[in-house]
Amino acid sequence: MTSRTRLSLVVALLVLGAVVVASAVASTSAAQVPGVTAKTITIGGTFPLTGPAQLYGVIPKAENAYFQYVNAHGGVNGRKINFKYYDDGYNPAMTVPLTHKLVQQDKVFAVYGSLGTAPTLATRDYLNKAGVPQVLVATGDSYWGAQYKKYPWTIGFQPDYPGESRVYGQFINAKVPQAKIGVLMQDDAYGQNYYNGLLQGLGDSKSKIVDVEKYDATQTDVSQQVFKLKAAGANVFALFALPTQTITALVVATKIGWHPVTFINNVSSSPLFMGLAQKSGADVQNDITATYIYDVWNNPDTATSKLYKSILSQYDSGADPLDANNVYGVANAATMVQALKMAGKGLTRQGLMNALTNLNWVNPFLYPGVKMVTTPTERYPIDQQILEQYKGTGWKPFGHIFSHAR
Amino acid sequence: MKSLFRWELVLIGLVCVAVALAPFILSDYNRSQGADVAVYVMAILGLNIVTGYTGQISIGHGAFMAIGGYTTAILTHNHGWNDIATLPVALLAGFVAGLIVGIPALRFHGAYLALLTFAFALAVPQIAKNYSHFTGGTEGLALPTHSGLWLYGVAWSAAAVIYVWTWLLLRGRTGRAFQAARDSEIAAASSGVSLSVYKTFAFGMSAAFAAVAGSLFVLINNFVNPDVFVLTLSLYVLLGAVVGGLGSLWGVLIGAAFIQLLPIGLTSSTLVSSSSVPVVFGAIVILVMALIPRGSAEVLRVALGLPNRIRSSHDASTPQSLEAR
Repeated sequence: MTSRTRLSLVVALLVLGAVVVASAVASTSAAQVPGVTAKTITIGGTFPLTGPAQLYGVIPKAENAYFQYVNAHGGVNGRKINFKYYDDGYNPAMTVPLTHKLVQQDKVFAVYGSLGTAPTLATRDYLNKAGVPQVLVATGDSYWGAQYKKYPWTIGFQPDYPGESRVYGQFINAKVPQAKIGVLMQDDAYGQNYYNGLLQGLGDSKSKIVDVEKYDATQTDVSQQVFKLKAAGANVFALFALPTQTITALVVATKIGWHPVTFINNVSSSPLFMGLAQKSGADVQNDITATYIYDVWNNPDTATSKLYKSILSQYDSGADPLDANNVYGVANAATMVQALKMAGKGLTRQGLMNALTNLNWVNPFLYPGVKMVTTPTERYPIDQQILEQYKGTGWKPFGHIFSHAR
Repeated sequence: MKSLFRWELVLIGLVCVAVALAPFILSDYNRSQGADVAVYVMAILGLNIVTGYTGQISIGHGAFMAIGGYTTAILTHNHGWNDIATLPVALLAGFVAGLIVGIPALRFHGAYLALLTFAFALAVPQIAKNYSHFTGGTEGLALPTHSGLWLYGVAWSAAAVIYVWTWLLLRGRTGRAFQAARDSEIAAASSGVSLSVYKTFAFGMSAAFAAVAGSLFVLINNFVNPDVFVLTLSLYVLLGAVVGGLGSLWGVLIGAAFIQLLPIGLTSSTLVSSSSVPVVFGAIVILVMALIPRGSAEVLRVALGLPNRIRSSHDASTPQSLEAR
């Protein structure tokens, strides 16, 4: 009786073994350019529509709004853009299968705009080995620009994080006397990139950092960390966190009577988030951040602002035009459209990469004076930023545009 | 008795044939999804040994998966090993790690043990972050890519080996000793079952199987970094074990398919708006728990009219340690 059961299991194992052998002769089929037909281009990405980073969930919708707008005006070289995006919850364990799905099932031409450092890292090898462009990813880590030799199919969009925090470090050295810096950072590659830049900017005065507190990306309550930073005697607060944690930290700091000179990293400083923090009782006056996108807040009546708002109201109803992430999405999508245009009628994946690595273009949705320039060996599409300070109910740019010296 | 066993054999045969033939129908993407199901089958089998059969709750099996995954990644990436050759090493590494966790587990029970394993699941990825010359740190390590068919074949072969191994382990003396330790430690000890030996051994085997699951998880993703082994991974494995049915091997496939295919299916479906996916997933989990609290193994058992021979007198579908005390 038991020996028969065992026999059947052994047979089953042999059948499975045959599957392994069969896999050795797995076939590959070559077709024309995936995701491209005479009438359409299919691209796709993964975004945190839910989870700890869900405040970025508006970005793919704004991007899609811009693609819809372009499609309504004839598309790109006669093709309409079809943008598929999935929710990975900022969880790389979800990003991987969803990206496999985009490539293998949905047969996208390129993975476009996917958000997050950890999710992008988790899929970078797969996409580069498969020769699928991973372009204009929504993360400012320095990897994308720095490691292009190993990962030629990957390119970023926004200014790199270390470059941004380097400027904060230099600013602290020049303008904040007797600074004692407390850092709140996310405990992963994203936080580390920002922290490294701050160290570089401080140069010989690294000892100004009196305390560094870390949190895990899935953790939203950072009040303990803020208590510790205050207790450490910090009078400068450097925040390298996601929006939710940033808002919490700002509110807690005010509640416990801590009023340091505060630096908020660009990706968490949308006026929408600052407004939320203010409503919850945070004092955000004179906080400092850096930006590179078009200033629709201080210039509401320019042609660019009007176009931006009309695209949102027409194709992304319910979007808040005062959320910087929507400007980001439109600016990013405009770059994709520009690259697709440059790649021409005979669109190929290599052609798209060539276009993105030979940019010399003024993106109307970026801060005036910021230019998108890339070469095959200089792959940081946006390399300039300007500092801003929070006054009243909004950010006010000050000083001049700086470039990230590398 | 004999006819009942024939039904079991038919069922096992059908499942095996279906699993073996499926890759020839599926697309390459669905093959890698199928391979992911096999990964969860192995992880759930491992967890079932310790939680379902021995009555020790672990919500940290993601950590053992991480150990296996990193073993495979480091050996292939840094030392040029063949992928499949790393699997026995991962098994061994997991076994040793399981023994190490199993020893303090002797002194902890119920919720306290759960918290200990939880802490372990939090700690392991941090270790990988701090020893970046071996582990690649947060930037991670890349592994060779394989076709969906290769992944499917290897993952299901490994799952089949581990399934049979688990069955052989649990059907005899060792399995009875595990269950005795679960049902009543005092009775088990007074019958001559060495609690320390069997409970530690259960943890070791459990971790070993989870480690192999982790190896294949990493091979399918062809990438590893600490962020891949998030805490939800451990919780999903536990959820899969509960949906499958603790203390039984029948429902493992269903539990694994549930945790792999449902979240992905919901996320990429157009029927459910993305913001409501977590709510829908949560609702389905609650519904499943409410309708089949003993897991799908129980449903299968009733449907096939099999006797309740796994648990004759004592109702052990919920291990004692999982019940409120």
